[in-house]
Amino acid sequence: MSEHQPNFLIRLWRSLRAFLRGIDQAQRERVVALTAYEARELENMFVLMLLGSFAGMPSPPSFLAVELLPHLEHEIRVLNRRAESSTDALAEIMGTIDADA
Amino acid sequence: MSSIIVVVGIVVYIALYFLYGKRLETNVVKANNDIETPASRLYDGVDYVPAKTPVLFGHHFASVAGAAPIIGPVIAMAWGWLPALAWIWFGNIFVGAVHDYLAIMASVRYDGKSIQFVASDLITKRTGKLFYWLVFLILVLIVGAFGAVLGNMFVGDPSVPSSYLLMLVAGLILGVLIYRVKMNFTLATIIGVVMLIAAIFGGIAMPITAPKSVWFAIMFFYIIIAAAIPVNVLLQPRDYLNSWLLYVGLAIGALAALSSGVQFSAPAFTSFAPIVSGGKPSPFWPVIPLIVACGSLSGFHSLVGSGTTSKQLDKESSGLTIGYGGMLFEGFLSTIVVVAVAGYGLGLLVNAGQDISAANWGQQYLAASGAAGISGAGMFTAAYAEMVASTWLRFLPGAFVKTIAGMWVASFAMTTLDTTNRLARYTLAEIALPLKDKSEGAYNFLTNRWIASAIPAALGIYLAWSGTFSILWPSFGAGNQLIASIALLTGTAWVAKRLKTKATMALIPAYLLWITVTAAILWHMFVVVLPAIQSNAVTNTVVFIIEAVMFILNVVFIIDFVKTRNEPAPEASEA
Repeated sequence: MSEHQPNFLIRLWRSLRAFLRGIDQAQRERVVALTAYEARELENMFVLMLLGSFAGMPSPPSFLAVELLPHLEHEIRVLNRRAESSTDALAEIMGTIDADA
Repeated sequence: MSSIIVVVGIVVYIALYFLYGKRLETNVVKANNDIETPASRLYDGVDYVPAKTPVLFGHHFASVAGAAPIIGPVIAMAWGWLPALAWIWFGNIFVGAVHDYLAIMASVRYDGKSIQFVASDLITKRTGKLFYWLVFLILVLIVGAFGAVLGNMFVGDPSVPSSYLLMLVAGLILGVLIYRVKMNFTLATIIGVVMLIAAIFGGIAMPITAPKSVWFAIMFFYIIIAAAIPVNVLLQPRDYLNSWLLYVGLAIGALAALSSGVQFSAPAFTSFAPIVSGGKPSPFWPVIPLIVACGSLSGFHSLVGSGTTSKQLDKESSGLTIGYGGMLFEGFLSTIVVVAVAGYGLGLLVNAGQDISAANWGQQYLAASGAAGISGAGMFTAAYAEMVASTWLRFLPGAFVKTIAGMWVASFAMTTLDTTNRLARYTLAEIALPLKDKSEGAYNFLTNRWIASAIPAALGIYLAWSGTFSILWPSFGAGNQLIASIALLTGTAWVAKRLKTKATMALIPAYLLWITVTAAILWHMFVVVLPAIQSNAVTNTVVFIIEAVMFILNVVFIIDFVKTRNEPAPEASEA
């Protein structure tokens, strides 16, 4: 019993410390969450400018688009996924802007 | 007594988390850590990023925490502290937490898509569209109800608005320190917290007195302007300071409630139908969920949880801690509110010269609170300060503690108000989509940034200014609980159709909630709002129409749900 109690208390203390550190990290991340969201939206627009022909938008000079294309693989994947979920944005917006009462 | 209730509350929550929540996880959802979550499977470093459980808990809890879990229980005290507490605990454990957990887990198994998407997939496309309408209508009611809360509070305690304005200045300075000066974050936080404390003392020293109409006008322009300012200038640093208020307020409240030991002066039970909404005797069933919304269950949680939380869940077993546990945490906050008001509410009203006792509490509580100028949030802040002053925490100055509590409520209510215009623009764009081809001009007008912001802001502030708070608050609750009922039934459809497991643990609360909310809306429309049209025609007609539309949407939903309940789930929608 005397061996278990300290272990339990130490485990409890570690869990509590991890929990509080997690809360602290979450708060730090939230300080830039909306800015990050806006930056992501700007990136979306940038990708649309380069690859807008897919969506019927005028393209930039093709040599420029081709030159930039290899750097945009990740963005294109994100763009594709976001295009698929573009009609499902209500919850994401609510989660991002903390729209809760 | 307060210590006993808080300890019992903690024990009940922990016990039921393991006994009921774990059962839900194991027997119904069958959470399995061998199944990769979308955060890992679809990792993109942007939207899909696994987060450690405590970090995601922090994000989720801060997202779902608001002012409603404080205000609702204060009003529900009219039934007595026992019914209020019973609904908070029962609703929390068996309905609200189940709702939040199912919404997150359904979303996790749907590649992080929202509960709205799941509803469209498993019930009908029309069900998905209902969310836009309901959210938009609730936005109007939120501005009305929260505007009224803030108006009453700002007039009742003039140090709160001045502290809040100083806090906005502190937020602006903190924004410059963090984003422009790029100061060390810990140092900036220390400066921010010091400025927050200074703002509280500054507000106490320089209270601003103004009539309610002036505050409403300020709120209207604030709502519109808040969305136009870059988020890093005001909203983000302000919200960061808010989170300090939340955690410090919660910690002080929990410590005080645990060590207070005060005997409850408010009665345990008044009557089945005391005076609650619109001056009418309000039956505990079905009205209680309209009063205690977020402290017990909240429909908005299903959207918030399935919008961002589900995309960051590192493993399925974390879902219970975050979804189920997060909701219990919010219920604990409401428990502290009940304890504070039960212990000190009666004394505060008697000291304010009100003719109230335990015997006539049910009939007089809300009227006396209003007459004494300490209704709603004001009652909480005053009782909270008294509770803290009765413990070893009495070294904290009373006015300081009271203003902390006031700022806590005010800042969360304000945050809710300034998110409305962002959301309104999006929901209006979706609602008005059919107009795009038929009348592009009308579509462009409605979705214009300023117009879309002004519609709910103007309607809501008008309701707050001209309406009766005890009518507006249950209307907001009705909309919120309606979304909860739709989300919970969607969760049961997911369990039955996709998981093919026995959904009893979800189905019973889902049907119970739907029947309760439907009955409550009908009761509120015809017993409270309709007769009130005689005394305040325009305002109450607007409320009646909004509730009628919500009721129709509710009926449409249940017809679709029942019609499709035995249909198999469409293929290939799920991951």
